[in-house]
Amino acid sequence: MKITFENVIPNPLSEYPHASESLWGNTHVLEQGQKVLINAASGKGKTTLTHILAGLRHDYTGNISFDSTSISSFKTDEWLRSRQSSLSFVFQDLQLFPSLTSEENILLNTNLKGGVSIAQMREWAEFLGLGDKWNTKAEIMSMGQQQRLCILRALSQPFETLVLDEPFSHLDEQNTKLALQLIQERCSDLDAGFLLTTLDPTDRVSFDKEIKL
Amino acid sequence: MLKKLLFQNQDKKQVFLAAIGALLGMTFLITSTHFLYRINEFGEGNEILGSNILVVQRKVTAASTFNLSKNDFTQEEMKEIEEQPFVQRVQAVKSNNFRVWLETNSDLVPPFKTDAFIQSIDREFLDANAAEWKWDTNSRELPIIMPRDFVVMLNTFMSSMSMPQVTDELATSIPFKLRISGAKGEKWLNARIIGFTNEISALLVPMEFMNYANNKYGDEEEGKITQIIIQGKKGKFGSLEKYLDKNNLEPKKSQMIVGRLKSIISTLVMIVFIVSIVAVVSSGIVLLQYMRLLLSQNDYEVKTLLRIGYAPHFIASLFIRYFSLVFACSLFAAFGLFFVLKWWINQTLQIGGIYLNESLSLISILIIPLSFVLFITVGTISARKNVMKLFNI
Repeated sequence: MKITFENVIPNPLSEYPHASESLWGNTHVLEQGQKVLINAASGKGKTTLTHILAGLRHDYTGNISFDSTSISSFKTDEWLRSRQSSLSFVFQDLQLFPSLTSEENILLNTNLKGGVSIAQMREWAEFLGLGDKWNTKAEIMSMGQQQRLCILRALSQPFETLVLDEPFSHLDEQNTKLALQLIQERCSDLDAGFLLTTLDPTDRVSFDKEIKL
Repeated sequence: MLKKLLFQNQDKKQVFLAAIGALLGMTFLITSTHFLYRINEFGEGNEILGSNILVVQRKVTAASTFNLSKNDFTQEEMKEIEEQPFVQRVQAVKSNNFRVWLETNSDLVPPFKTDAFIQSIDREFLDANAAEWKWDTNSRELPIIMPRDFVVMLNTFMSSMSMPQVTDELATSIPFKLRISGAKGEKWLNARIIGFTNEISALLVPMEFMNYANNKYGDEEEGKITQIIIQGKKGKFGSLEKYLDKNNLEPKKSQMIVGRLKSIISTLVMIVFIVSIVAVVSSGIVLLQYMRLLLSQNDYEVKTLLRIGYAPHFIASLFIRYFSLVFACSLFAAFGLFFVLKWWINQTLQIGGIYLNESLSLISILIIPLSFVLFITVGTISARKNVMKLFNI
């Protein structure tokens, strides 16, 4: 899916100046399958961008299109289609179900949208060091473990673009590397791209394009 | 899994209390609706007098009790009434001037004998089906129309004798004997009930018989006309009632026991009906409010389900399905309780001689799906509205 930004400025950031290479106030096109890094300091609108793409915020000027359709014209059904098969999200605040186990959190996603088999998911959980947490409730897992579970859940469904909002903020270098490897493999399998926001230096992530905010 | 996520950590006590409220409300609603229908139906089915008919007499006052005021009607007065634009026809209700006794004449029912008072009206005032309403000296049986109060009295008597109760149908098959006795002699006649009326409190016999018996057995003196029967024109009954009131006349109907009983019981049942509606609406609101509370308690879970792509209508349907099930259980239990209450109320009324149709009324069955559909409709609208609020945040 091609995502086009045309002079988009979130209302809370409208009074601040934006550089010519910034996503805000300029035109940028994210092509289908492109791996994009959004590298920005705190308060520049990374989470706002994620929420706008998820249809959770509408307080912006300018235009965003998914393929050739402006998302400002989206009704409930279009947002549902987008959330179910076009975009998959790793939100900064994770949005897991604390009272459910790792398996149940993933099943709630795959039962709705299809995607990866539960055996494959179990394998990926082992790969990310969550094998022994498969039947553990999310609420008693550490933040790092929850973050990895959230990545697993996002990878479990079919998608065209994976949107990750600071997905490694609680992970050590080794786990970040493993998570990135899994993300790259899954995106390659689906011929999908990703849009990853981060505060960190860019040397750990392999990407096609970097955009500032 | 969704059920576990959304409904596991709720306070079940609140649902239980709301369900009990719905159960009691629905029980009383079904019961009161059923009895409102059956009580209104009571005594209506076999009314043999035509429609818009009133039997009228002068109002009873202290003066009339001591014969100080006029209580009869002259031919001129009857003519004046008949000339009113809202009156179709008027006739004197002819009474007997000889003594009458009525007694049962069958081994199948216990002996029952009573003094009686007979009156007569023309065939025109009866419903068209009263083809049996004729008599001549060769007739084997005298057709009679029985005041419904008599059936109530007969059943009270049967009840005291531990005998089964008499329905309208059964009463028409009981052979009776009528004994008339006057200055000129005495006679026994076979009699049979052909119908019932709430309008007149005397036994009704055909005019031919009354003329024959008054001539043959009665006193010489022609009796005064103290009651007249008036048939009002269709749609002008209100004007007739106003005219009667203005002229100090009163319809006999208002004095009828069955009519009064029906009126009192109907009023009581109506009060129960209104209270039931309030109870059902209140318990429905409590259930729906609890659904909204549960939705707001699960605000995070619902929001997250929507964020990962669950449709708002689907999430709303989970809530409405759960609460519909609770309401359906209340309805089912209410229907069971209604049967118990119906049986008990019918027994109680039968002790007082009132025999209502005991079969299930259609309205009491219909009220169940109607309430259910209403609950689902309101619940769905409420649930969808509340879930949609969380969709874009």
